Amino acid sequence: MSLLKVNNLKVYFPVKHGLFSRVKAHVKAVDGVSLHIEPGETLGLVGESGCGKTTLGRSIIRLIEPTSGTVEFDGEQITELSGGELRSSRRKFQMIFQDPYSSLNPRMTVGQIIGEAIDIHHLAANSVAKEARVQELLKAVGLDPIYAQRYPHEFSGGQRQRIGIARALAVEPKLIVCDEPVSALDVSVQAQIINLLKDLQVQKGLAYLFIAHDLAVVEHISQRVMVMYLGKVVELADSQKVCREPKHPYSQALISAVPVVDPDSKRQRIILPGDVPSPIDPPTGCVFHPRCPVAEARCKVESPALREITPGHWAACHLAK
Amino acid sequence: MPLLDIQDLHLEFGTGADAVRAVDGLSLTIAEGETLGLVGESGCGKSVTALSITRLVPAPPARYTSGRILLDGKDVLKMEQSKLRHIRGKMVSYIFQEPGSSLNPVFRVGSQIKESLQLHRPEMATDSEVIRLLKLVGIPAPELRIKDYPHQMSGGMQQRIMIAMALASEPRLLVADEPTTALDVTIQAQILDLLRDLKQRLRMSILLITHNLGIVGDIADRVAVMYAGQVVELAPARDLLQRPLHPYTQALMNSVPKLGREAGRLQSIPGTVPAVGAFPSGCRFHPRCPKAQPDCSKKVPELIEVEPSRFVRCPYWSHGKL
Repeated sequence: MSLLKVNNLKVYFPVKHGLFSRVKAHVKAVDGVSLHIEPGETLGLVGESGCGKTTLGRSIIRLIEPTSGTVEFDGEQITELSGGELRSSRRKFQMIFQDPYSSLNPRMTVGQIIGEAIDIHHLAANSVAKEARVQELLKAVGLDPIYAQRYPHEFSGGQRQRIGIARALAVEPKLIVCDEPVSALDVSVQAQIINLLKDLQVQKGLAYLFIAHDLAVVEHISQRVMVMYLGKVVELADSQKVCREPKHPYSQALISAVPVVDPDSKRQRIILPGDVPSPIDPPTGCVFHPRCPVAEARCKVESPALREITPGHWAACHLAK
Repeated sequence: MPLLDIQDLHLEFGTGADAVRAVDGLSLTIAEGETLGLVGESGCGKSVTALSITRLVPAPPARYTSGRILLDGKDVLKMEQSKLRHIRGKMVSYIFQEPGSSLNPVFRVGSQIKESLQLHRPEMATDSEVIRLLKLVGIPAPELRIKDYPHQMSGGMQQRIMIAMALASEPRLLVADEPTTALDVTIQAQILDLLRDLKQRLRMSILLITHNLGIVGDIADRVAVMYAGQVVELAPARDLLQRPLHPYTQALMNSVPKLGREAGRLQSIPGTVPAVGAFPSGCRFHPRCPKAQPDCSKKVPELIEVEPSRFVRCPYWSHGKL
């Protein structure tokens, strides 16, 4: 059974204007996304800024209220839970944020930051047990246990991100939503955090929803990859299939645009014209058609559904073969 | 004679015992029409180096303690303020990482480009020249877009405006400081494509600062890798990417996952980038270096030409031991 099942999730934000804040339109940040994550699996989520990947990640754990759709986690309907119930089931899914500088409270020590979640969920019998647990968590993420007494400003970006990971691990979750966990870090530190996340996954059987814009990082860490464009899923398959034989023209362009270190690579670069359209007024038919190099007449009218092109390889394109 | 010749530049912030050396003995040259990539992580001194080319690092607090910056044969560090104004934005133009914060939000983009023209080529300060520049940087319907304000444009468009402004003075050297870091990959590809095209058409030199080795391979002729205020490796781009020699360059390349390669374990570099003012003794990379030798913490290595046009700051390379 899947650990997480998201069905037709929609998140619309109202755009208000005028004297009485009349709702003029909606930003369709996430527009009918369905996905599932198995226990211990990493699902990568890529897309450009504004495609709705962060909103999707946050609405799955209800940091943002979804407009419609269902989220089922471990057999429980997350979308129907209220206050206290939601809080107790949040123990099972946690989040790691992009910016390790703004996601840690500067007035709390590292021990307090990690211990807070342990307190909330009553996971330690007494303060001695809590301290022991905090030290154990710091060790698990590769930090010295004496750091529990220190404040976030005393740490570098990579170390802070480790603290963020320790905080997420404190409640023994089954799923961690990682929202761009390495993009604010220096290149030489990124690899440390990626390796740490992979090690922890093996040790603790964690599942990740790994959100990032760097395709190479996503391919490296994920078993399956989902590509989003303007609030919709355009492609979903095993990470190697998406990165080596992308079916959707958007994924093809995205992959070809990644700069490569190898000077001998003879890749054909597809340069997409224009910018991502506004999600307030998305194009008709296939949302990608104004920038698509292979668009046909019907792409302007018919919105393509996500279909299985080859076994396990899904794409939302009329022309994908 | 190279267009830009930086010789043994030392730049410090603060005074006395508190002085921290952000750039330490940096030497670089850029020939006419050449693109040099300057690669390094945050805090390695690459942006300060770029700004010091036209003495844009304010002194004080900064102090150019020694070295020369020869632009077309003239030493920028000895120049009078009035002369500097002829260089800044004219012979040397800049584009920065955040186009949104580099443009003035209360003026139309057309008039901002025209301002640059009025300063440097007053006879050409016309709408038609602005439109020509916008066409050059690939902005569709330029006649309409000159009336736009910066907020009406996307990040990629704003960066194109910045490039148009930089090109207005017909610079001989374009300094691009992380020009695509704030942009999405597909937009990044558009901007890099534009820079490559402009470089060929206008025959200008480019100093491209980035932390992304992939971008360097895309556009640069030669690459300088900086670590903790020093150049640790300097080589033709192709050679450097195919066969990096300095342990830092090697480690940096191995720590980035590559698209479409087998997913093994990434080789991470232990520790963190040292802060300015807290650089280790001897070779500055030695605490993180997988190939460090006992005396690396004592001896300060020199940048040595180990093969024709390949320079490495690692004694074990020049001794042929690694």
